[in-house]
Amino acid sequence: MSQLNLEQRLAGSPILGYAFSIAAVAVALGLALILSTNGFKDAELPALTLAIAFVTWYAGRGPAALAVALSALAYNYFFTPPLYSLYVSVSEIPTYLIFVAWALIIAIFADVRRGAEHDLMQARDQLAAANKELESFAYSVSHDLRAPLRHSAGYAELLRRQASSVLDEKSLRYLDTIQASSKRMGTLIDDLLAFSRIGRAETNKTTVELDRLIEEVVTEQRRDAADRNIAWKIARLPACHGDRAMLRLVFVNLISNAVKYTRMRKPAEIEIGCRDGKRDGNVEIFVKDNGAGFDMQYQNKLFGVFQRLHLAEEFEGTGIGLATVQRIVQRHGGTVRAEGAVDRGATFTVSLPKA
Amino acid sequence: MPTLGRILLVEDDPSDVELTLTALEDYKLANEVVVARDGQQALDYLRCQGEYKSRPRENPAVLLLDLKLPKVDGLEVLKEIRSDEQLKLIPVVVLTSSQEEKDMMRSYTLGVNAYVVKPVDFHEFINAVKELGVFWALINQPPPGSMKK
Repeated sequence: MSQLNLEQRLAGSPILGYAFSIAAVAVALGLALILSTNGFKDAELPALTLAIAFVTWYAGRGPAALAVALSALAYNYFFTPPLYSLYVSVSEIPTYLIFVAWALIIAIFADVRRGAEHDLMQARDQLAAANKELESFAYSVSHDLRAPLRHSAGYAELLRRQASSVLDEKSLRYLDTIQASSKRMGTLIDDLLAFSRIGRAETNKTTVELDRLIEEVVTEQRRDAADRNIAWKIARLPACHGDRAMLRLVFVNLISNAVKYTRMRKPAEIEIGCRDGKRDGNVEIFVKDNGAGFDMQYQNKLFGVFQRLHLAEEFEGTGIGLATVQRIVQRHGGTVRAEGAVDRGATFTVSLPKA
Repeated sequence: MPTLGRILLVEDDPSDVELTLTALEDYKLANEVVVARDGQQALDYLRCQGEYKSRPRENPAVLLLDLKLPKVDGLEVLKEIRSDEQLKLIPVVVLTSSQEEKDMMRSYTLGVNAYVVKPVDFHEFINAVKELGVFWALINQPPPGSMKK
């Protein structure tokens, strides 16, 4: 960071760049002179080349040229016979050429680095612009797509009211379908918006007592499935570090899925437990059921947006739940994976950072 | 019989206007509705200016306000109302398609009395509008200076 600041400051003012150049060569020269009077010979070449490198890297071409010239001058005046004169002998010329070549090499490296940095900045700006565009896109989806849907559902209902006495059964069924489809489209839009909001929302991370969180979620699910026979097996769980509201959504999705996909089991078995994560500092929480399961060859589709492995008639849903789970877990720097077999249940394992 | 307050509906979409009026019709509230089709028209009505110059100077019992409107949008209308000595007490209910947190935050910050997201399902929509109409036009006591029938 301080490197970048120095560079920015030098780039901001040419005078500062040249001053830096003079100062760097002066320091190198002073150092070399002190060392040589203390019996440490031949320090001048490393010192001066180092000064040239610094100036070229941080201050750019003009100051670099000045540093080369000053170094050559200083070298000639203080370190080549005859001492304290500006006489140039042929044997010194390779040294001057080394100064120049050295500055050129460093300049090329600096250019490459600056180019990369520029590209990086540009990519960052583009990303920010794309995010902003996405946000306004989601915003207009929320505003503008819903209105026509409401209208088609609404007018279908008005038509039913107006004409139900003269419509036959088939026509009434058509009206039903229009309304059901509008409603479904509305749900899809809402789900999609909620999903995109998770990607954009800021996370508010604290220590989350998973015991408490899971208990809340399970109590809620039990209430909703009061008529079902479910054997719950819940282990003691540790605390983890994360955004409580988001993590709640993760477990609401996983546990309500387990409840949903064990509908035909009597009794249904749902187990929630934990083990140490494979990665240090992570903990793994699993939700295991004995429900419909899935074919492992489709496991990559499980977490896709609106991807479903079951028909809507078998199990209701839009296919956004596991996509949401994955996005939240990834935003916590964790992973989620699924194991299962058709008709033999499924196990979802999320790994989260420990508290 | 409680007195009926007048409702100002600010809504640009003709279908939404019709559906809202249909919902209010069921409770015989539709006659009490004045419709403004954009924010400027709503402000003209409230300030008795322009085409509403000759209207008696009384405030509606409630304003049902859409956010996305031509010319002056809903949030601007809300801001104008809350900074106008004559209008600032009018109950304002935002009735919008937007569930965006940003819109809710801004509406509440500007002092909205309620924020209702229009449901896609027609029955839910009708119920929401009816309940709003009944509550604000019948049950709620509007601030003094509002018009009554």
